[in-house]
Amino acid sequence: MTNFAYEYYVDIVTKRYFHGVDNKDLGLVLDCFHTHATLHEMTSDTLHEGRDEGIRAMFEGLFDRNGRIWHGNFVHTVDQQSQAICSQFSVEIFPHEIGRQMRYENCNRFYLKDGRFERVFVYMSGENLLK
Amino acid sequence: MQYQSSLNAEELVTLATQNYFGNVDQKNLQATLNCFHDEALFTIQTSFTLHSGKTAIKEMFENFFDSYETIIHRDFTCTVDEKNGRIAANFIAELIDKKGQKTLLNNTNFWRIRDNKFQEIYVYMSGENVLK
Repeated sequence: MTNFAYEYYVDIVTKRYFHGVDNKDLGLVLDCFHTHATLHEMTSDTLHEGRDEGIRAMFEGLFDRNGRIWHGNFVHTVDQQSQAICSQFSVEIFPHEIGRQMRYENCNRFYLKDGRFERVFVYMSGENLLK
Repeated sequence: MQYQSSLNAEELVTLATQNYFGNVDQKNLQATLNCFHDEALFTIQTSFTLHSGKTAIKEMFENFFDSYETIIHRDFTCTVDEKNGRIAANFIAELIDKKGQKTLLNNTNFWRIRDNKFQEIYVYMSGENVLK
């Protein structure tokens, strides 16, 4: 098992993953995942399987359906021993269909292997945006 | 907000899974409340519900205990940030009401510890809010 520093977990979540999402940089986002990764939206029980299949399609849809996307106000719970980081954060997002900004208070649980996401779980305070 | 915790990783897990959920499942109200500071904040984030202070938290648990005959929290996966006094846990909540209706939730809680008790708790539910 590779030992990653505490800040590695915070950085992959904020400086790579969510920075990539907020800037609609699909390559940067997908590079955080293993090829066999899964992303499970728990509040609507929606499972996206495979970095280059389900997860890529989900982000393409997210970027296409929404204007501005912002993630911030992070509080992280980092567990180096179990290679996990659970993060609470706010989301501001502008769905084209609704035509106004929406605000969410969400959390994600990220489980990593060798420095990349293997399993990601998402809880949303409103309707699922990760379809 | 950042607090100073006096608990190590093992003690954080014990506080969350045994002292807290162990007593919730037994409907031990006082022992459950002993896990909280008087001015603790209990937020169900997925439904924007806030119970502020021990009196409000007590009322929430009285309603919860009265609503369900059986309360089981199981299959914990804990993420422990000892340095910062924070713990998150994923778990199954199995609830059976007085009519025998079963509710299964796959929830995630976040706790922020001050000294040796909960100062803030955040609950993210996979279904409808059961902590009203």
